[in-house]
Amino acid sequence: MIGLKRFNWQGWSTFGLLLLLWELGSRSAPKLQFYVPPISRVLSALGQLVVSGSLVQHLAVTLGRFLAGYLLAAALGVLLGLILGYFRGLHGLVAIVIELLRPMPSVAIIPVAVLMLGIGDSMIVAVTVYASVWPILVNTIDGVHHIEHVLIQTGRTFGLRRRKLLRRVIFPAASPYIVTGLRIGLSIALILVTTAEMIIGSKGLGFFIMDEERAMNSANMYAGILVVAALGYALNRVFLQLEGRMMKWRHGVAAGGAM
Amino acid sequence: MRGFNWRGIGFLIALLAGWELLAQVQLLNPLIVPPLSKILAIFTDLLISGQIPMQIALSMKRAAAGYALAAAVFVPLGIGMGLSQRMHRFLEVVVEMLRPVPPPVVIPLAMFFFGLEDRMKIFVIFFSCAWPILLNTLAGVRGLDRVLLQTARTFGLSRSKTIWQIVLPACAPQIATGLRVSLPITLILVVISEMVGSTDGIGYFILDSQRRFKVAQMYAGMFALALLGYLLNQLFNLTYRVMLSWHWGMMRQKDEG
Repeated sequence: MIGLKRFNWQGWSTFGLLLLLWELGSRSAPKLQFYVPPISRVLSALGQLVVSGSLVQHLAVTLGRFLAGYLLAAALGVLLGLILGYFRGLHGLVAIVIELLRPMPSVAIIPVAVLMLGIGDSMIVAVTVYASVWPILVNTIDGVHHIEHVLIQTGRTFGLRRRKLLRRVIFPAASPYIVTGLRIGLSIALILVTTAEMIIGSKGLGFFIMDEERAMNSANMYAGILVVAALGYALNRVFLQLEGRMMKWRHGVAAGGAM
Repeated sequence: MRGFNWRGIGFLIALLAGWELLAQVQLLNPLIVPPLSKILAIFTDLLISGQIPMQIALSMKRAAAGYALAAAVFVPLGIGMGLSQRMHRFLEVVVEMLRPVPPPVVIPLAMFFFGLEDRMKIFVIFFSCAWPILLNTLAGVRGLDRVLLQTARTFGLSRSKTIWQIVLPACAPQIATGLRVSLPITLILVVISEMVGSTDGIGYFILDSQRRFKVAQMYAGMFALALLGYLLNQLFNLTYRVMLSWHWGMMRQKDEG
């Protein structure tokens, strides 16, 4: 939404004003300072944590778990989604199971995962995969179902084998839906990683924030939240960049079709 | 819908039967996956004893408060930002800065202020529902037919009348989308916040059961939660259809006319 058109000075000055209010309000009320330390102190805490390397370590752990879980979920969701979307009989078979599993809030799976996998990395990755695979899977199936039949039939007429048909025709044609699923999955994956770290982790940003809260180190806690927010923002940006690059051909095709 | 999906039901039953069988002959570790029959028995017990309904009522109270509060604040804000270009520019950066914060990390912050009270969960839900409600409302208002607004102005409608009689009805579908997207988010966040910082509620109940190794009870809680998610979605769809029937009627009329 941040357009690159024109610098939004009103928006940034509102933001700056809020930060200033935060700083001054916190400085003038010592009682409040315990809950809301001045932003300058939060930033200096952030600086110290970065320099000492501890925050970077937690960030690396969280990022690693996120990437493992999300990429696995993406591969699994797209692959299964293409297969289930293409073979309608198979989809009919599992549709009810999917519909029953999906409405359960995915975080409820964490206790089960703890029982099965203990409290290590594999458990956090597993719950991340479980939670973020649903939107990817369902959107991919939807995408395949929305492909025009002529397209698939043309592919068949040209003698494409099933695997080639899936890879060269169905996958690209369903890609707008797949991308939507992947984007939703991205934010869910980040939610699950941080939640799991908060509940049972001993490393990672979620754990760090929770730990600082318990230790009543509010400046460090805010610094941790800032880092998670930056991570969320950066991941989203990277996603949009990649999407723009990968989906470029599609705009070309759409424009060509319109001519 | 199409015909009844007998094969799907058959597959589900086969799956459940397989679960029961494997658990009975102890091919599945009963400490991790107890037989289905045992889970159902415990679920029924907990349902009748009122334990599960009580936990769910507690969670729902928090969820409803946070959800309603978010709707009450962010639908009007979205309309305001959609109608006033200036307001939009002033608030845009703040919104874009807060939006990427993954909602769970707000929990420690809320705990800092509110401890383990209900207000903590309500705030977390409020925060996490804010963006889908706000952005969908905003998109709805911005996508509004400008002629509609100009007509209202020509007829000398006051600002509040324009909003109530023109903007709100025309944007109702998008607002409803935002509210629908927020529904599962609400449920997820109430469960997370109860797991992280609570002594009751269905989220706490499930995690606590696991920590005490009452595994069947844990599954029963999850089952209740899945049921709740399903019912809430159905309820929303029903309300949506009833409340917006006039809208689709109008759209049809427009197409035919």
